[in-house]
Amino acid sequence: MKRFRHLLVLLFALALVAAACGDDTAETTTTAATTTTAAATTTTAATTTTAGEPEEKTLIIGTTDQIASLDGADAYAVHDWELLKNIGEGLIHWEPGSGDTLVPGVATDLGAFSEDGLSYTISLLPGLVFGDGTPLTAQTYADQINNRLLVLEGPNGVGPALGQPYVESVEALDDVTIKFNLTGTWAFFPQLLAGAPYIPTNPTQFGAELNLFPEAPVYGNGPWYIESYTQGEQAVLLPNELYHGERPALDRVIIRYFGDPQTMALAVESGEIDVAWRILGPELISQLEGVDGLTVETIPAGPIRYLILSHTLAPTDDPNVRKAIASLVDRDELTDRVFGGTTTPLYSQVPPGFLGATEVFDDLYGSPNIDAAVGFLAASGYTPDNPLELSLAYPPEHYGAETADIFEVLKEQLEASGAINVTLIAQEWSTYIGAVIGGADYPVSFLGWFYDYPDPDNYLSPFISNGGLGTMVTDPDTGEVTAGLDPRLTTLLLEAAATSDPAQRIALYEELQQVYAEEVVTVPLLIIAEHIVYRDGVAGSADFPSMETLNIGPTVEFNYFTLDVTG
Amino acid sequence: MHPLLLTFLIIGVPAGIGLVYIFVRGTSSMRRYIVTRIALTLPMVLILATLVFFVLRILPGDPVTSALGPKGSPEVKEQLRENLGLSDPILIQYGRFLGNIVTFDFGESLVGAHRPVSDELGERLPATIELILPATVLALLIGILFGTWAAARRKRASDYGFRLYSVVIYAMPIFWLGLLLQLLFGKVLGWAPIAGRIDAIVGTTLDRTTNFIVIDSIISGNWTALGSALHHMILPTLTLGLVLSGVFVRLTRINVIETLQEDYVTAANARGIRKHAVTYRYALKNAMIPVITLIGLQVAILLAGAVLTETVFSWPGMGRYLVERISSRDFTAVQSTITMFAIFVAMISLAVDIIYSLLDPRVRY
Repeated sequence: MKRFRHLLVLLFALALVAAACGDDTAETTTTAATTTTAAATTTTAATTTTAGEPEEKTLIIGTTDQIASLDGADAYAVHDWELLKNIGEGLIHWEPGSGDTLVPGVATDLGAFSEDGLSYTISLLPGLVFGDGTPLTAQTYADQINNRLLVLEGPNGVGPALGQPYVESVEALDDVTIKFNLTGTWAFFPQLLAGAPYIPTNPTQFGAELNLFPEAPVYGNGPWYIESYTQGEQAVLLPNELYHGERPALDRVIIRYFGDPQTMALAVESGEIDVAWRILGPELISQLEGVDGLTVETIPAGPIRYLILSHTLAPTDDPNVRKAIASLVDRDELTDRVFGGTTTPLYSQVPPGFLGATEVFDDLYGSPNIDAAVGFLAASGYTPDNPLELSLAYPPEHYGAETADIFEVLKEQLEASGAINVTLIAQEWSTYIGAVIGGADYPVSFLGWFYDYPDPDNYLSPFISNGGLGTMVTDPDTGEVTAGLDPRLTTLLLEAAATSDPAQRIALYEELQQVYAEEVVTVPLLIIAEHIVYRDGVAGSADFPSMETLNIGPTVEFNYFTLDVTG
Repeated sequence: MHPLLLTFLIIGVPAGIGLVYIFVRGTSSMRRYIVTRIALTLPMVLILATLVFFVLRILPGDPVTSALGPKGSPEVKEQLRENLGLSDPILIQYGRFLGNIVTFDFGESLVGAHRPVSDELGERLPATIELILPATVLALLIGILFGTWAAARRKRASDYGFRLYSVVIYAMPIFWLGLLLQLLFGKVLGWAPIAGRIDAIVGTTLDRTTNFIVIDSIISGNWTALGSALHHMILPTLTLGLVLSGVFVRLTRINVIETLQEDYVTAANARGIRKHAVTYRYALKNAMIPVITLIGLQVAILLAGAVLTETVFSWPGMGRYLVERISSRDFTAVQSTITMFAIFVAMISLAVDIIYSLLDPRVRY
């Protein structure tokens, strides 16, 4: 009896070991090769695959981002927008891989402003449907925008930020013609329209109330639909069979969510995922660059980093102090010492490639110019014998582990003047961000920005209007320019936004950047380039630009429909 | 059925049956003890939940500003605070929180998609249990076997070896050990997966009912999924189990050594009973009592270890959830998760005390 019991235990243990060591790679090859699920018992309706049928192409993309909201009337995070742009298709959108080419999506053309610039009319393609068969007409679109984006105020605040300030209402003139009645003359409205909040949403799933976390499957009008998703684990996207365009080359895309970039780097190295996308730090990128079978590419765009200078708190309410800080920052050194050359120095709040972008901070303050800085400081009475006491605040974790290193280098650079003593204040994000925006705590602080719509307006307006995110160049309540500052900060901003002629806009934004730099509203520091790492066999489409970065261009949009995997 | 309720049933039903059995069969003093302990658990959880509630609100920073960052106007933020009930007087918020605990509703998360916290915990709790259960078993196995082996061979090379092991492994940071195992067994040898609970593609074939992947695989007869789940458990379990095993090795060793010096052991040896039998059958059983007590004490440490292990292995459990939500000041999620942890620790502690009394009939309450 005892022996029998031992035998049973042994058999059970063997069974467990056999199950654990079972070669599940037979049906889960993730080396970017075509994946066969012949041995797997596939239960998902859209992808049932049995032996003998064509091979199924699956691509696994890793990210450290998380799903925060899948409702277009509320989603505001980069990853949420990426998913929405893959399961939906806007009236117009950016050409994959390009940085400045808008192309029609589910519209017949790019649309046009009215004579007075106060409305924008565009026509839908006929016969459109969402993935579940719900028709998409001009009336459906107008109702969804009117009843959701322009009314609902969700926790992520996208409607009040990108809908209500710009659009008064939307009308359906007939089955296919849509007219946006605008709140003002917004020259950048087409760029705004190409954003995720203006992608058609399916009324079957997204009704009068916000539905941030809808039950899967989630159908849009784009090339994919979300078949299933679990927060913190993975999301599975399958081709939308009712999509009006070409079917994607892939049969399935799986987004795998990681808690730690180091783990994601190891996962792409070992072949557990095919693509590592957002966010790998500079150390991990250089570690992966030498690995056989991996391609590491840099996307020439990304979020920017800058110093916020308070114009109402001492000592940065003194223009000489602000100019001294601007003169002492050496962006090349920051790039080399902290990021190993993987970032780009930024010499205007408007990054290169955007309409009218200049390098005005380099022109005005050098990079760096210590003598000029000493002069500015001396003009305000700060000398080595009477140094300026300056505190710099930063969040040590929110923008990556490199933030502390940035500030150590900045401290050295500012103290190189001999007339500044720097104190660093590291503050946890949830406390820090309220204090920065409130404008009452830190004379110098640090923030990052990534555009909502790729237009210079979106890189200047937030730092000037309504308190300017802590710059306090305007009054948060009245919007009036703070006393002593150049009033052209607001007048040029409004004039440029209302001007549709590109040449005039360029001239206005160049002038505005000049005023912005003279007043040192912020001190632009760096562009943090995005990186993508993928295994051999993963390819973008030759039909679009930036094939080497899997057709991710300066707009940093990742379109899964351009991807393919080869044997 | 709600996933969180299902999780409670999966753990609670067997535990409940055991408790009822002991209650019915036990002595009256044992029954009194069980009732008293359960009654004491309630104020303990309440005090802890109250502390967490107020400490979170004393801390600077709020969930709305933290979530919106530089974007979102002051009006939007104020409206959102209103919608989330964060503008209500603190006592109203506290009353609502207590009401939520009683109904096991826990309210809605304050960040992200604002999902019901009970839904999120229902997804995360099974993952954590699937991690800490095998890790505890592994830690005990290693601890008891190595500890007894070292005690039986006191002052010999193997004794010194196991003592050194116990000190080194206990002092080793979990994230570092995890990374080391990932590099060796995941990257270099390719024997075990690096991250997640199940292979990405196999995962799409599994119907989730309980969110315990092992149980769901067995229920649905999906043996590929079971294999993949067990395969994915290897490295996280090893990491957590190894680190915890150090203290068990030391405690088992010292207790077995003490027991081996008892008179009854000398008598057994004098009667010619085999040394192996004396050590493992008689001495070990008596040396186990403090080890069992330690299990109860280690549960809290185990949960803390799970936080790090889950982060390193991208294991979507309660620990990772707690870390994410603390940094975004998600009051509802943090206070609910800690309350769950408190209930869990209290229950394990109760179970350990009962097992203790069963193992040692001299113990009376």
